[in-house]
Amino acid sequence: MNASVNTTVKRNKRTFREWLGSRDGQKVLVMLAFLIIPLILLMVFTYIPFAEMVKFSFYNMKYVGARKFVGWKNYIKVFSRKDCFGALKLSLYYMGGSVVQLSLALYLATILSFKVKGGDLFKGFMFFPFLINGIAIGFIFKFFYTRGFVFDTVLQWCGFALDNLPYWLKDRSINNISLVGTSVWRYFGQNMVLFIGAIMSVDNELYEAAMLDGANKFQQFKYIIMPSIKTIFVLNVILSISGSLSAFEPPYVITDGANGTGTYFVVMHEIAHTQQKVGLASAMAVVLLLIIFTVTILQKLFFKYVFKDGTE
Amino acid sequence: MKLKKVLAICLASAMTFSLAACGSGAAEASAPAAGEAEADEAEETDAADTEDEDTDEADAADAADESDIPTYTQLDLGKYGDAEATIKFLHHKTDRAEDGTMDRMVAEFNKEFPGIKVEMEAVTDYAEDSLLRLSTGDWGDIMFIPAVDKVDLETYFMPFDTLDNLSAQLNFVDNWEYEGNCYGIPYMANAQGVLYNKAVFEEAGIKELPKTPTEFLDDLKLIKDNTDAIPLYTNYAAGWTMGAWDAYIGIVSNGDDTFMQQKFVHTAEPFKDPGDDTGIYNLYRILFDAVAGGLIEDDYTTTDWESCKGMLNRGEIGTMVLGSWAYAQMQEAGDTPENVGYMPFPMTVGGKQYVNAGGDYNYCINVNSSDENKLASLIFVKWMVEKSDWCYNEGGYTVVKGGKNPDMYAAFDGCEVLSDQPAKAGEETLLNDMNSESELSFNAGGNDKVQRIVEAAATGSESLDDIYADWTQKWNDAQEELEVSVDY
Repeated sequence: MNASVNTTVKRNKRTFREWLGSRDGQKVLVMLAFLIIPLILLMVFTYIPFAEMVKFSFYNMKYVGARKFVGWKNYIKVFSRKDCFGALKLSLYYMGGSVVQLSLALYLATILSFKVKGGDLFKGFMFFPFLINGIAIGFIFKFFYTRGFVFDTVLQWCGFALDNLPYWLKDRSINNISLVGTSVWRYFGQNMVLFIGAIMSVDNELYEAAMLDGANKFQQFKYIIMPSIKTIFVLNVILSISGSLSAFEPPYVITDGANGTGTYFVVMHEIAHTQQKVGLASAMAVVLLLIIFTVTILQKLFFKYVFKDGTE
Repeated sequence: MKLKKVLAICLASAMTFSLAACGSGAAEASAPAAGEAEADEAEETDAADTEDEDTDEADAADAADESDIPTYTQLDLGKYGDAEATIKFLHHKTDRAEDGTMDRMVAEFNKEFPGIKVEMEAVTDYAEDSLLRLSTGDWGDIMFIPAVDKVDLETYFMPFDTLDNLSAQLNFVDNWEYEGNCYGIPYMANAQGVLYNKAVFEEAGIKELPKTPTEFLDDLKLIKDNTDAIPLYTNYAAGWTMGAWDAYIGIVSNGDDTFMQQKFVHTAEPFKDPGDDTGIYNLYRILFDAVAGGLIEDDYTTTDWESCKGMLNRGEIGTMVLGSWAYAQMQEAGDTPENVGYMPFPMTVGGKQYVNAGGDYNYCINVNSSDENKLASLIFVKWMVEKSDWCYNEGGYTVVKGGKNPDMYAAFDGCEVLSDQPAKAGEETLLNDMNSESELSFNAGGNDKVQRIVEAAATGSESLDDIYADWTQKWNDAQEELEVSVDY
């Protein structure tokens, strides 16, 4: 801000006081005045704590007691420990889940944005899980997956024998898929509502014109709907991918991260709060942030390339 | 035109003013907080810098305390009926807050001390939240000591008395002793044994309580063969219930009350098999063999802590490995409280069964409270310890020397009851540091390492020896990292 003030002063050869009285100066002053509260909030609650966390990551420290500066040692540990990056592999499950989640959401959103009987009711039902508290969902699904409880009973009605059913949370080959299932169940409604909102904004005349030209529903979807909801689509993908990198609630509440379901966040929580290695956990958080940055930028580039043909 | 300009300027200036006012208000409000934080930091660094002088300072502080606030043993409850203050008590007993026990005890307390108002706050996730609250300094006057390092005790808490004075009257007060002063008094004490259902044992044909791991495993098999009950319920999913196994690694598994706090950190191979059905090796072997032999619940990943209480009470569960604090809860959870039994841990060292008894959470008093509040807090703590009967009602082992013990400890008659000796001077924080560095966290929330035993035994992914080899490796690495001498 100061730099621009100085250049203005020089260019117009006015004193600062004169400049302040001018229209330009008033504009800046009012802008600043309006911005100051949000900026203070942003600094106090986001950037200062973040800077503090980055500082922590260079120390060997607990919550209480003396701190020791250790340089890059915590970062080296993050990359050399098996459990930190091993946990990131679990994110692949959640990414796979988010693909399913987004396609399901997009499919249903497209159907529901045309005239469907009871459409609003369906929208309500499918959005409902998003309104439930994540911890409550964890408890619901813990009982849902318990041997011989809800899920097994429903499957038995469909003709499965209990002995042929796997242990949904005990069997290590599927327990992560079970957990991803809860996360898909919870978030796809939200994705769907966002998609519906975007699709609603498409001008109806475009469909009519396309129909006159003989385009079928799929072609309408591909050439009208997809390009128009590009922004929301990219946003949803970015949110789901960064969400799957930082998956926490389902594994934490349902399995407590045990039995090979400890995601990066659960491991981080364990290291920070049980082992009290706050420095190491802060370093893990910084590394995760960098990973999310990288992934987001890559996605941006990817979509720029993919949507090139659609828009031009 | 001119009018518009004037109006606009007026508006803008008014807005700037009001905003500035907001801004300065916020700044003022946050300023003292920042000041406090700085002061705290300064104190911390001071404490670290002048560790050598600490003894002098502590003594000086004691002298100062003696002048206006009596020590625990000096305090005569009868003399302070007119004391007046409002104190705040931060605790973890959410269940007792809900069922009204806490309020009833305070009401009883107020009959004797009507001038002391006690505000209480029950915290669900106490182990974590209390540490955060402690670091902000805004927590009240009395709390239960969370996992802090002993060197930091005097930064946060007021000493109750010297260890010598206090241990003449109370049991288990050496947990939070630092340089001769006691900073914590347990609200109740636990004896570490095993919960079992008497009816299930009878039905299975078990005539005598097991005394060794091998006998115990045989009995579990009997329960499996002869009854419908789950022989050993692991409570795997709750996590902390698995960490409860750590309570037996000291006195119970080797009969040495200096092991846990003193020798453990200096031991090269603490997980070696001593070959006589004792030691840490055979302690976790019970769990491993029980899981491998199918003597636990069918699906351990979906166990539920709340419903297991009723299951043990009704005889759907044979045994559970938990501290004595759980006994009262198991009794309350069903219609057959008479069937809930408590026995010493099945391990015999040199012909004798040992029982580890120790304080539960410890009361402590904020060192930064005002003098009136410190005095009132001290009165409250002393009353709670000696007159509230809380410990007895919870089924705890008595904290007051010579106090009465609940009937549940009948089976403990022939056993040697010991409590862990405190760490040697200068090594008070070593076990914490080793736990943290090795990430095994014995008796400090290291649940995942015990869960790993269950997973390994159930899936066959690792043998027990593999796990012990890994633990030994981690333990030795931590010893190297912290430059701990290996003496045993």
